[in-house]
Amino acid sequence: MLNERAKILAEKISSGDEITASRVISMIENGEDIGFEVLSAIYPSTGRAFRIGITGSPGSGKSTIIDRLAISYVKIGKKVGIIAIDPTSIKSKGALFGDRLRLKSAEKVEGIFIRSMAHRGFLGGIAKAALGAECVLEALGKEIIIVESVGVGQTELSISLISDVVVTVLTPDFGDEIQLMKANLLDIGDVVVMNKMDLKGAEEKAKDLTTYLYDIKKENLPIIKTIASRGEGIEDLLSILEEKRKKGIGDDKKKLKELVLAFLREELMGNLERLIEEDPQFDELLKKVEKRNLDPYSLAKTILTSFFKNGRAEECIWKKK
Amino acid sequence: MEKKIKVLIAKPGLDGHDRGAKVVALALKEAGMEVIYTGLHKTIDQIVNIAIQEDVDIIGLSIMSGAHIPLTRKLMEKLREKGIQDKKVFVGGVIPTRDIEKLKEMGVKGVFPGGTPIDEIISAIKEAQKE
Repeated sequence: MLNERAKILAEKISSGDEITASRVISMIENGEDIGFEVLSAIYPSTGRAFRIGITGSPGSGKSTIIDRLAISYVKIGKKVGIIAIDPTSIKSKGALFGDRLRLKSAEKVEGIFIRSMAHRGFLGGIAKAALGAECVLEALGKEIIIVESVGVGQTELSISLISDVVVTVLTPDFGDEIQLMKANLLDIGDVVVMNKMDLKGAEEKAKDLTTYLYDIKKENLPIIKTIASRGEGIEDLLSILEEKRKKGIGDDKKKLKELVLAFLREELMGNLERLIEEDPQFDELLKKVEKRNLDPYSLAKTILTSFFKNGRAEECIWKKK
Repeated sequence: MEKKIKVLIAKPGLDGHDRGAKVVALALKEAGMEVIYTGLHKTIDQIVNIAIQEDVDIIGLSIMSGAHIPLTRKLMEKLREKGIQDKKVFVGGVIPTRDIEKLKEMGVKGVFPGGTPIDEIISAIKEAQKE
């Protein structure tokens, strides 16, 4: 049962209202129920936009590549949305969004919608808020949605769940094979880009990477060589992406399952964590562990048992906001 | 989830001095806000466009060029035109005392001439958000 307000907001977005679209993205980021109600209204009509996830270490040139790619897409008549995810400072819980600065050309094009998003320490990775933003941008009329994410780890896995294709960006100073394996950067990549090919020894490194990809991972990943700052290689990247887009975007059941699990993890674990931390009993027990009168495993078990026995499990569930 | 205060720090016009803007941007981040810095030489139209896409709560204009009156006037007009005058505007930079009242009459929530303590800026923004 959708409430009237949600329907009105959904209609506004579909008619191209950027202000409403932007506000609804905020509602989803802030976990407001109305945001998710609007999502329910627009979700059925989504699924045709081509979602490109761009990942790679900081400084690899992701923003520059996205800037060029976005313009290339506009040139072939596509409407583009960009979601730039920046890390949140763990200490201050604030964020300083710097991606827009590097999207110099894209920023000037009125038809390109750019939204910065803070990681905000979401347990499920950034997936929940970013997926919402993707849907809103698609409802707004964007056919190509580029999601840029930072660094490595949980965020990367989440990006793969909400992208139709993942582009991993590396540079010739990526180090050795062990670093690559540890970094998981190539695990989720569908397309690999080696940027900054103008650096010394770039061709050698590109060869090493090719060897690694074919021999060790036994995979047939295309490697695109670019010098994004000069716009070189971007056409090749566009070609490969277009090839994939035309092949068709199917909904991956496995991905969807992981996505929903990520949402659940976020909701349940987030609330559980908060409730436990607020519980004075937790502090008492922690002190016992400090003094080694109790071990951490038993502590965890005690908390969970007393928690669920006391019927507080319901508090872990979605709160109405 | 607690609502974050989203702030846009903008450098309109030809003014090329942005160290102050960057210092404030960083300080606001440390104070727990989500900050977008526009970079130099933005037009008022571009600034309004960014404010819409990022759905910011606060727009902070950093102006060292002396053109704060016409630039602020244009911004306030644009915000009304787009129907987003609920976004609160602050102006900082090289602002003579005699212009502070004029800016406030235009609807600016606070004026921070160079040398304003960061804590004052942070408090003013938090107060304005509560409204």
